[in-house]
Amino acid sequence: MFDFDALAACMSTSACLVNQATSGLIIGMLLFLVASGVTLIFGVLHVINFAHGSFYMIGAYFAYTTYHITGNYFLAALVGAVGAGICGILFERLIISRVYGQNLLMQLLVCYAFILIVDDLVKIIWGAEYLAMGIPAEFRLPPLRFAGGFVPPFYLFLVAVSVFIGIGSLLLVTKTRFGKIVRAAALNAPMVSALGIRVNVYFALLFGFGCALAGVAGALAAPVRSLTPGMGLGILVESFIVTVIGGMGSIPGAFLAAIILGLTRSIGSVGFPLFVDGAMFMIMALVLIFRPTGLLGQGAVR
Amino acid sequence: MTLLIEFRRDLLIALAGLVLLVAIGLGIDHAWPRDFLTSIFAAGLLAMSLNMLIGYTGLVSFGHAAFFAMGGYIFGLLLQSPAFTGALGAGSVPVALGVAVVGTGLYAVVIGAICVRLTEIYFAFLTLAFQMFLYSVILSWVDLTGGDQGLMGGIPRPIFLGIDLADQYHRYVFCAVLFVACVMIMRIMTESPFGYTLRMIRDNATRAAFLGVNVFRVKLICFVVSSSIAAVGGVILALFTSGAYPEWAFWAQSGEAIFMIMLGGLNVFLGPILGAVALRILNDVVQMYTSHTEIVIGVVIMFVVLGLRRGILDFVKDWWVEKQQARLAAENRNGQE
Amino acid sequence: MKKSYTRPRRGIDRRTVLKGAAAAAAVTTGITGFPAYLKAANTPIKIGVPTILSGRVAILGESSVAAIKNEIRKINEAGGIEGRTLEAVVRDSRGKPDEAARMTRDLVNNEGCDIILDAEASGASFAVNEVVRDMKQFCIHTNSETSSLTADPKNQVDWVFRSCRQGIHDAVGGGLVAAKVVKEKGLKKWATISPDYAYGRANTEEFMEYVKLFAPETEVITETWPKLFQPDYTENVTALLNAQPEVVYSCLWGGDLVAFFDQASLYGLFDQFTAFAVNLGDYPVLTAIKSRPAGVYSGSRYHKDIPDTAENEAWYESFMANSNVLPTNWSWQNAAAVNFVVEALKKTGGDTDSMKLAEATSGLTIDSPFGVDGTLTIREDDHTLVNYMVGYSKTIVDEPYVVDFDQTAWSEIYKHEAEWKKRNGYM
Repeated sequence: MFDFDALAACMSTSACLVNQATSGLIIGMLLFLVASGVTLIFGVLHVINFAHGSFYMIGAYFAYTTYHITGNYFLAALVGAVGAGICGILFERLIISRVYGQNLLMQLLVCYAFILIVDDLVKIIWGAEYLAMGIPAEFRLPPLRFAGGFVPPFYLFLVAVSVFIGIGSLLLVTKTRFGKIVRAAALNAPMVSALGIRVNVYFALLFGFGCALAGVAGALAAPVRSLTPGMGLGILVESFIVTVIGGMGSIPGAFLAAIILGLTRSIGSVGFPLFVDGAMFMIMALVLIFRPTGLLGQGAVR
Repeated sequence: MTLLIEFRRDLLIALAGLVLLVAIGLGIDHAWPRDFLTSIFAAGLLAMSLNMLIGYTGLVSFGHAAFFAMGGYIFGLLLQSPAFTGALGAGSVPVALGVAVVGTGLYAVVIGAICVRLTEIYFAFLTLAFQMFLYSVILSWVDLTGGDQGLMGGIPRPIFLGIDLADQYHRYVFCAVLFVACVMIMRIMTESPFGYTLRMIRDNATRAAFLGVNVFRVKLICFVVSSSIAAVGGVILALFTSGAYPEWAFWAQSGEAIFMIMLGGLNVFLGPILGAVALRILNDVVQMYTSHTEIVIGVVIMFVVLGLRRGILDFVKDWWVEKQQARLAAENRNGQE
Repeated sequence: MKKSYTRPRRGIDRRTVLKGAAAAAAVTTGITGFPAYLKAANTPIKIGVPTILSGRVAILGESSVAAIKNEIRKINEAGGIEGRTLEAVVRDSRGKPDEAARMTRDLVNNEGCDIILDAEASGASFAVNEVVRDMKQFCIHTNSETSSLTADPKNQVDWVFRSCRQGIHDAVGGGLVAAKVVKEKGLKKWATISPDYAYGRANTEEFMEYVKLFAPETEVITETWPKLFQPDYTENVTALLNAQPEVVYSCLWGGDLVAFFDQASLYGLFDQFTAFAVNLGDYPVLTAIKSRPAGVYSGSRYHKDIPDTAENEAWYESFMANSNVLPTNWSWQNAAAVNFVVEALKKTGGDTDSMKLAEATSGLTIDSPFGVDGTLTIREDDHTLVNYMVGYSKTIVDEPYVVDFDQTAWSEIYKHEAEWKKRNGYM
């Protein structure tokens, strides 16, 4: 099962190192975007958005259609993000807000129902077949060469955007007035609303922002991944693993965990190709057993 | 003995239920009721055993189907091994059933020991993670499990005590007996002092600990027992489909079971079975008219969760209690006048 | 959202619910079972079709159903069978084997279906196989390519047939073409990238086995196994890059293949290696891939020019006019299944008795647009389809997407298939 020779051989050539390190980063960054939405929503609203993968899918499909009509990828990515954000706000207002503070079961079920409904709606609107957006004209360039390794320009763009958005959302929560109000409301909502602030609006906006992050991830993935109804599920499970490893509610934690997972995948595909998934779950189980709050999370879990 | 006396009413009901089930299965000259009920036995045991965790103990497991699949696979793999059936002959089926239940129970001890200490959300996640892990093992370990094709070529079922499980009538009665027996075990567990300890833990674990309850141990016992009963459900489905499939360990199977509980009623003992029946019928009826089953089921879930805010039997129970109270209140008023 | 709440009320109307609560579960089952009993009044000949209509494989299921319905329409417009019309009853199993098993039982017991066309993918098709064995029900598997389904004696059933490709046939054909190509170009070092599940592993193993047989200097230097439905193949693509093979083989399919091609193109993978992809030549795949590389070798799936006959062209036109999805490999296989059923029914004089149909189908040869010389045969000894189009084409960027079909002679396939069966102890 383990092929240490191949791993050692890879580690000793710069080409392989570059290839695997960058691919780890690429895989990690999209996961990070989705997971940071999950973690943000959980950190403030204390609900698990099990339907987060659906917003990733919504973002991808919106971007696909926009790109199809306008031919402008940057606009498409924006529409994907904003569209997912608006759907997120609607979802929060109409559905999730009704189960705040109720038991986990209720939250889980409405999300399950939402996933079923959205998957079927996508099938009705866009059809059951797999769609592919294709690489936008701006990025149809030969891969760059670094120390013998290959790096496609589109992936550089993808990583840059993800890091930028990650830092942006961290600043949004920690430094801005919006972030401060939201965090205060999370601790004591009645108090904050007594100050004349409409807490519900802030909650909805934050939820929408979290979903927009998933939407961006979907839009960034659309050029290279095939679009199908139900595409949100795979990324949902992985982004949960990221969230749990990084620590619920911690954006830097999600970042760290996403990179760990990305590297596990990319190095694993060389060293232990048949145990990549197993390794991911094992890391998660170990973290939960020995540091249940996650690598960078805080708070009691027992 | 005291158990018998204490639960004689329940035992009688169970016996009557069994007689009714057997009468339906053998009395109607059509395979459909038997098929339908057998699949309900399997799904019902999965949902009811999960409800011991969710409804009675407050442990929201999102990975219960793992044990269901485990039971089916152990049972199927043992009977497919010529060495096993050769050595045990007529005893193969009962022994395989026993090993499936005990083996799954042991697996549940390991998983449970890791999981039950955690709080709600982390418990849900970790059970989900272990389930997906089992799923990926089943898919990858093609030599043993047949991967995505499941256990192929049928499951041999040597005749024991005159019971031939290849015969659909025998099989049906056998599954019905297993089902009723497991339901009875759960009834006894949840209505005994142990069951009330579970409820106490659900409502306030700290207080239970102060009162001297070993919360960890009680939760673990409940986890293991419910997993073993889920394994019996898996065995029934393995008998029914004459195979075992990785989808049984997929998260959607757990999601469906959770919905059955919710749909039927969380706080009524037989709620999950009603949920299983309702979901199955809903699924079949919708299938007759549209291929968009998912959207209809999604909307129904939304309606039950956001509209009724409880399961069907919960709703009926609350309505009944309210009516009684209204009547009492009315009588009181009348009395005062 | 609000408006749609009115609908489910019909689904679980309160009376049903209360009755269910009051009596045993059984009462409720009787109520819904009832209309179906009545419906089984049996004028049309009913064909039950368990298939996959949701999730990621839905497109294939839909293209199967479209083909079945289109063939049935043609038969019915021509007067049906002995005055009786055909009717398809389709059920979505969501690809779950136990659902497929249950629905197959329901289709026979409850809907009164006379014939089962099992349009499930591999896992569920084995489940259906067990059910129809148990029920003594005539059935044709229309989509599962797994060789062992009909080759392995333990899966063989007297009244069950297969009307689709078989992995081993494609492997022989692929091996022959690949060996020819690599010898011409002097290529030796192979890499494989296939999905990590039973089909992916068996298919890749069989393909490479025949490449090695026909080109003994072949060497597989790396294998990478992405999970089924894995969204991202970056790590697998870079693993291929690191190994620097000369030729790559893949049996990824559907959306996974589309994603792999688009992602691999980013790395310029197809500029560096020769590539073989058995499942590339299907219309939905070819049209979905945006950076369609030229010169990739593709296994034959369904194509309107393969075979290049007027009959095939006509079938394509008729399909396109009556379907809202593109034709796939699954489409022709299901169309062929309906054609076989019709021929068998003609032979039995419209009798739908399973054993009589089985006798009529065994060894049956029919005229078909998909056959090598205009005919298809269901072989008598292992009940599987032969004489369909096997071979590889080369992709081009624009329509018709694939050209230069290199057809494998069936005599070659028979020879190697027999040896393969012996090696596996199937004979």
